[in-house]
Amino acid sequence: MLFILEDTINGILMGSIYGLAALGLTLIFGVLKVINFAHGSLLMVGMYVAYWAVLLTGVHPYLSLVIVVPVMFLFGYLLQDILIKPIFKAEKNVREPITVIIVTTGVWYILDNLSLLIFGPQYRNIQDNPLRGKMLEAGEMMISVPKLWGFCAAIITALLVYLFLQKTRMGRAVRATSLDRDAASLQGINQYKIYNISFGIGTAVAGVAGVTLVPFFNIFPSVGVLFDIKCFIIVVLGGLGSIGGALLGGMIVGVIESVGPQFMTATWTEAIVYGLFLVFLFLKPSGLFGVKYDW
Amino acid sequence: MKPVVYRKLPLILVGVMAFGLPLVVTSPTYLHIVILLFLYAYLTTSWNLVGGFAGVLPLGHAAFVGIGAYTSTILSLQYGVSPWIGMLVGAVIASIVGVIIGLPTFKMRGAYFALATIAFAEGIRVMFENIDYLGPFQINGPRGLQIPPLKTGLASFMFAEKEPYYYIILVMLAGVLLLTWAISRSKLGYYLMAGGEEPEAAQALGVNVARAKLTAMAMSSFLTAFAGTFWAQFTLYIHPKSVMSLDISFEIAFIALIGGRGSIAGPVLGALLLRPVSDFSRIYFGDKLPGLHLIIFGVVLILVMLFQPRGLQLPLTRIYHRVMDRLFGDREAAV
Repeated sequence: MLFILEDTINGILMGSIYGLAALGLTLIFGVLKVINFAHGSLLMVGMYVAYWAVLLTGVHPYLSLVIVVPVMFLFGYLLQDILIKPIFKAEKNVREPITVIIVTTGVWYILDNLSLLIFGPQYRNIQDNPLRGKMLEAGEMMISVPKLWGFCAAIITALLVYLFLQKTRMGRAVRATSLDRDAASLQGINQYKIYNISFGIGTAVAGVAGVTLVPFFNIFPSVGVLFDIKCFIIVVLGGLGSIGGALLGGMIVGVIESVGPQFMTATWTEAIVYGLFLVFLFLKPSGLFGVKYDW
Repeated sequence: MKPVVYRKLPLILVGVMAFGLPLVVTSPTYLHIVILLFLYAYLTTSWNLVGGFAGVLPLGHAAFVGIGAYTSTILSLQYGVSPWIGMLVGAVIASIVGVIIGLPTFKMRGAYFALATIAFAEGIRVMFENIDYLGPFQINGPRGLQIPPLKTGLASFMFAEKEPYYYIILVMLAGVLLLTWAISRSKLGYYLMAGGEEPEAAQALGVNVARAKLTAMAMSSFLTAFAGTFWAQFTLYIHPKSVMSLDISFEIAFIALIGGRGSIAGPVLGALLLRPVSDFSRIYFGDKLPGLHLIIFGVVLILVMLFQPRGLQLPLTRIYHRVMDRLFGDREAAV
């Protein structure tokens, strides 16, 4: 029985990291209303940036945030500005702007294979970092320390994003654009600038998620694919545009992944996650906390 | 002959040359590449029925390939049923699965629809990777099924040389192109195109958009499964990653999108342009620059979406018609 509790706790911790990864996606999804298929690849880029930052400077992985966050923000900002904005403008009145999805899929392929080309397929990790393999003993349970750090990072990041959206002027502009882009632009908000900023923030958050993963997760070019679909599932579960929903959705997935293998093979738990995803898509596409959008 | 027929001459010529190709291209490697090219042209044209005409973005078509492949293989390995019959059975099953998937998903927005098709396809693949037996049928999980090359000949859909495979896939491709052409001029075709662009207006006019989309999906999955059986008989080894992977689904969609979905020539043009890129960059750069062909795919995809969202077939067919105008007079005047 104690196994289940231990698994659940570790699942919640890991799940919060998933939620952090999905947080970036839900922001982008919520504001731009498009699915960013390249999100997993952005996470991968964040991991590599963090990896090299730590390797070259020898600092504590979490200190690399100083480099990772601005770099990722800029990367996302430029990506949106250069590749996606032209299509947005071209598809202003198209019913279903699928082209953006297609472009992000192209970005995914390019990023993943470019990193394969540049960095090679080998798995990398930072062996002697202060967090690797550390376990916290709580009674008879072993709690993973790097995941605990990740949990804290996830909560803090989510809080920061929430405060940004609620308390700052720019944040209000972002919320306005996500609710009704035309009304927002009538108020003088430059919607394309908002898109750029939102994409930048979403990418930066993915960068934070990357930093939390670097201490214990293997880094390789297609690591993004693992997280990509998971993030979509979490965003649908939690509700698009909802910060709390992303974290909660992440934790649900994390717990299923952690506790599931006690009762069935690991890949069947994968099937369950997919099944849950489909159920939510059909019955409650707005997820647990999402706002009901006028489809 | 009327000028209208003259304009079609180059196409007819290409068709005739296609039948004579194996006489010129004798190297098995190159023939293999051409066969795969035609296979993807076939797959993308079938995909086009849903992804192009119906206007949605299905990203899980590999599931139907897998269903076709596994059905015919299981039937022939375990029960000695001819792969041709297995092909039909697989297609029927795929068609039913396609409708089951389509029923709930067509109601969703484009992005959600794409995600749902991915989830379904991956769910099916994960299931196949995890079970050894589905009832009495042997699936063998990730190890897959191998088809022992016993008797060759048309009846057993197995040949020692590549040429027969070439002709089979050529006939399949010609058939599916003809079908697409026929649908595009039929009521179903117009219903689909109307439903894809302005569903509310179409429904107001009495078009049952949902039924049209489901019909398209049923046809598309039916035809896609044929390709699965072909693949199984061609490569003689199937496992979930080889016939049902997400990469296959995406490659099919990419090719159709770059070539131009919604048109008849688009998918074939896309395959003609992209498959050689894929195969040759893999052959020549495979070890030094792995994944190069996928980078090229991605870049081409983005460029096409930015500058020619309706696909490369648009400028190419315009050039073709302009050349034909020069040679045979204005086609408008021929009416």
